[in-house]
Amino acid sequence: MEDNLVLSVQDVSIIYQVARGNVKATNNVSFDLYKGEALALIGESGSGKTTVSLSFIKMLPSAAKVTTGKALYTREGKTVNIFELNEERMRAFRWQDCAMVFQGAQNAFNPVLKIKEQFFDTAKAHGWRKRKEVYDRALELLKLVRLDPERVLESYPHELSGGMKQRTLLALGVLLDPQVVILDEPTTALDILTQRAIIDVLKEMQGRLGFSIIFISHDLALAAEMASQVATMYAGEMVELGTVDEIFYESLHPYTLGLLQSVPRLERGQDELTSIKGNPPDLIDPPSGCKFHPRCDFAEAKCAEKKPEFATYEKEHKVACWFPEKVIEARQGLWEKAS
Amino acid sequence: MQALPAKSQTQPFSFLEKIWRNYTLRTVIQSIFTVWAVITFIFFLVRLMPGNPIEIYVNYLINSENLTYEQAYNRAASQFQFDPSASWLEQYFGYIGQLLRGNLGESITSTGTKVIDQIMRFLPWTVFCVGLALLLSFVLGMLFGMIAAYYRNSWIDNLISIIAAILGAVPDYIWGLMIIIICGVQLKWFNVGDLRGTFDPSLQPGFTFAFIFSVIQHALLPILTYVMGTVGFWILAMRGSTTSTLGEDYVNIARARGLSQGRIITAYVGRNASLPLFTLLAINIGFVIGGSIIVEELFVYKGLGSFLFWSITQRDYTTMQGILLMITIAVVFSNMLADLLYSRLDPRVRISGDS
Amino acid sequence: MEEPILEFKKISRSFKKGRTVIPVLQDIDLQVQPLEYLCLVGESGCGKTTSGKILTGLLRPSSGQLFFEGRDVSTLKGADYTHYRRSVQIIHQDPYASLNPTHTIYNSMSFPLFRHKLVKTREQARARVAELLEVVGLTPVRDVIDKYPHQLSGGQRQRVSIARALTTQPKVIVADESVSMVDVSIRISILNMLMAMRETLGVTFVFITHDLALAKYFAWKGRIAVMYLGRIVEIGPTPEITLSPEHPYTKSLLSAIPEPDPDKTRTKEQIRLRSEDIPRLTELPAGCSFHPRCPWFVPGLCDKSVPSLEPFAASELRLACTPLSQGKGLNLFETRNLA
Ligand SMILES: Nc1ncnc2c1ncn2[C@@H]1O[C@H](COP(=O)(O)OP(=O)(O)OP(=O)(O)O)[C@@H](O)[C@H]1O
Ligand SMILES: Nc1ncnc2c1ncn2[C@@H]1O[C@H](COP(=O)(O)OP(=O)(O)OP(=O)(O)O)[C@@H](O)[C@H]1O
Ligand SMILES: [Mg+2]
Ligand SMILES: [Mg+2]
Repeated sequence: MEDNLVLSVQDVSIIYQVARGNVKATNNVSFDLYKGEALALIGESGSGKTTVSLSFIKMLPSAAKVTTGKALYTREGKTVNIFELNEERMRAFRWQDCAMVFQGAQNAFNPVLKIKEQFFDTAKAHGWRKRKEVYDRALELLKLVRLDPERVLESYPHELSGGMKQRTLLALGVLLDPQVVILDEPTTALDILTQRAIIDVLKEMQGRLGFSIIFISHDLALAAEMASQVATMYAGEMVELGTVDEIFYESLHPYTLGLLQSVPRLERGQDELTSIKGNPPDLIDPPSGCKFHPRCDFAEAKCAEKKPEFATYEKEHKVACWFPEKVIEARQGLWEKAS
Repeated sequence: MQALPAKSQTQPFSFLEKIWRNYTLRTVIQSIFTVWAVITFIFFLVRLMPGNPIEIYVNYLINSENLTYEQAYNRAASQFQFDPSASWLEQYFGYIGQLLRGNLGESITSTGTKVIDQIMRFLPWTVFCVGLALLLSFVLGMLFGMIAAYYRNSWIDNLISIIAAILGAVPDYIWGLMIIIICGVQLKWFNVGDLRGTFDPSLQPGFTFAFIFSVIQHALLPILTYVMGTVGFWILAMRGSTTSTLGEDYVNIARARGLSQGRIITAYVGRNASLPLFTLLAINIGFVIGGSIIVEELFVYKGLGSFLFWSITQRDYTTMQGILLMITIAVVFSNMLADLLYSRLDPRVRISGDS
Repeated sequence: MEEPILEFKKISRSFKKGRTVIPVLQDIDLQVQPLEYLCLVGESGCGKTTSGKILTGLLRPSSGQLFFEGRDVSTLKGADYTHYRRSVQIIHQDPYASLNPTHTIYNSMSFPLFRHKLVKTREQARARVAELLEVVGLTPVRDVIDKYPHQLSGGQRQRVSIARALTTQPKVIVADESVSMVDVSIRISILNMLMAMRETLGVTFVFITHDLALAKYFAWKGRIAVMYLGRIVEIGPTPEITLSPEHPYTKSLLSAIPEPDPDKTRTKEQIRLRSEDIPRLTELPAGCSFHPRCPWFVPGLCDKSVPSLEPFAASELRLACTPLSQGKGLNLFETRNLA
């Protein structure tokens, strides 16, 4: 398993320096991403999902600063710390090793250039100059995302619908055969049926090309469908990490449980839903101890005093909570893995 | 992906509507109408100014040659091809009739010279001088505007923005005056008197080095003045446009795609940020023809602007009308050009224009 | 059956854009019963917001009539018309755009109170505003009442828009995507609050959303109307619509939605559409507008005439599908060039 490790994120913390103080947007985040895996980062708005993933391609806004940690990236046996790459190495790293599709990127293509020019641009920037080769590869990839390849390549971006643009962007994303593809809310602005098409295409592409995905979403259903691993984030911290089945059927963190209890399920009869009480915390002046304790139903005095370690509970399943047993008890009989 | 059967939702339309729907044709018709409306307006406006050409000349004769009013009037009336007793409406239809035949008429005060010839004598100088200035100003503005946007909120940006704001806030003739007073009169870098006119009158026009040098020398100060008066606007416009383009997703994605900084600046930021500016440039071309009356007067530069000023003081109706007509046409057509240019540069407009 | 509080009779609405006419709504028949839960669902651009605006009198129909308490709204005058406008309120889609950023919450909310002469003095207004904020759960009120919208979180802002809609003591509230922009964890508490308001304040809710799972939760005891390209294609009791729909479009929609349950979502039966492109409103296909995408397309039938909304067999559903209403059942259309 070890030699399949692609990205190892260790103890990464990021702050935004703003007038009011430091926004602690990411705190001591660690995880490993293996080849062909799809890791979903879930959590509510402002929990630092975008921030942490932007750091992997060094595209954080200038107000942001990585204060601790490393991101070790491995390709063909060689390992580098992404944060230490210089500007030129970083430029080469982007897209060729790690492609990131941003949140709400309905506007991802330069409106005055034809799609094919944007494919050529990308290839050329990474030293691939044979236009014919690039063109053929683009045709192949666009076919994979179920588009009419010639037509799309000859189009300007505004001539494509939102869903077509998104699929074209996915094709462009894998043009250089990256090992990691980061997708930040790839389907949020899209319609249900278009979203379905994107999910299917993405799964198929991943199966064929074998890249790893970091998938950011606050839609749990999407995570359940797409991911092999799921990480729950709360207030800039990773609070639970496990396989998709572990997170959905054997969740250990009260926040994960809270999320699961607040999503309606279509295939069932009437839902019994509860919401998580309270509001997301202020990241400049976060609560003491476990940051979730003011909203947690299981909190005790200890939770406000001391921060729980993000530690292994069993196998690869990690959680940062003092009382996971309470969660286990609370989820009994709620839902089970149907097998 | 299959094509869907297209079904038009619009009702059957008449022939006239069909013409109206044709974008190009509609623009041309609108332009012609605009030109007509403006020249009609100008025609009456110039006649509403106090005095007419004969009275102005009569006053001049009385003062300079000590003639009686009677004598002066007779002489003036015999020299000018102008009948002040004809009604405005008669004059108007006469003028329009001439225009339709492509005739701008003769100057009232300089009998025998055609207005069109006069215009053609002065126009090239203005086009040369203001045109060059506009181009220079535009290029400098794009450059500094983009630099300011790139280094937004740094000292470079602050410096450029402050200078641009000052340049933009002060009108060009004040810059002209300041150049003359500070550089010419106080620092004595040049002799203002030597730089009157469009070139050194002792030289023969032609493709000689001395002549071209003289032309440039004489145009230099007006060009500098225009550039100082307008570059601030271009800088600020480009800065604003670039700033908003830099925030676009496609620029961020281009960075994430690992494109080189150079390619991003030119094809992704520059090209999109300058789109709105090209339209503004095209619109401004129209104003080039008119030149700037005050600046040309200030430097005694014999262009169309100073010629217009002269014809106004003389109440030379036909000349004024001729020049203003040229300016109107230039403005209207440069607007059309702007539209056209925009649809060339921006594929999004190109498509909707076709359908 | 009771008299509907609001009723659409053959309502159509189109917009003119230059020379082209965009038919946004076509022949909508819809009854809103007092105190029922009614949801309008459908993909983006299908005309949900437009219907909501027509219900509240913000837009006039191009043809057809709107009845309020049995009376044609276009004939209402003076006090009767004011009564209608006060009785039907809308909560707009975008909580950011609908609150004036330069007004405090008190200002925004007291304005309609004064305008409709519901209060006379500032003291009365303040007391009433405080009361309403309490109703929507923004307590303690003094922490919120003098703040500006940007000082509130997304969820709080959404509650303020709800409170503002309550100022005129409406009988019907049209909630347009009221929880789409708020986080999963607080969504349910807002929905629960709306449901409670129906009991305590006697307000009828017309709930507009693109999220079928949310619609199902909200309107489990009510009805869902599924819209596609400006028409209602299926309407009926929520359990039937979400668990055993009949119309091909509703079926496709349901099969496309991922479930927040890894096993269920992976094993869910998928319906593959014949085309993923949504026709433009200006170039609607002949006949049933879903036919170019419909997997159960019947040539010569579906592309001929526009089906009307009719009761279906023994169910309580009403749907618009020619093969179904002719009792032919659904048979998959063979796609020849699937490769
Ligand atoms: N440029 C910035 N300057 C200051 N603070 C920022 C900036 N960008 C983000 N933040 C803050 O950092 C925190 C994490 O933001 P981030 O965008 O990573 O969240 P997210 O989980 O991606 O949320 P969403 O689901 O809304 O996209 C938030 O509290 C946010 O307010
Ligand atoms: N004022 C308008 N002028 C022209 N077209 C309009 C106007 N308002 C709405 N439309 C068009 O009508 C269609 C339906 O719009 P509507 O806002 O009702 O959709 P919706 O179902 O609410 O979509 P969404 O889920 O995106 O909010 C869209 O195609 C839209 O572009
Ligand atoms: Mg984000
Ligand atoms: Mg809407």
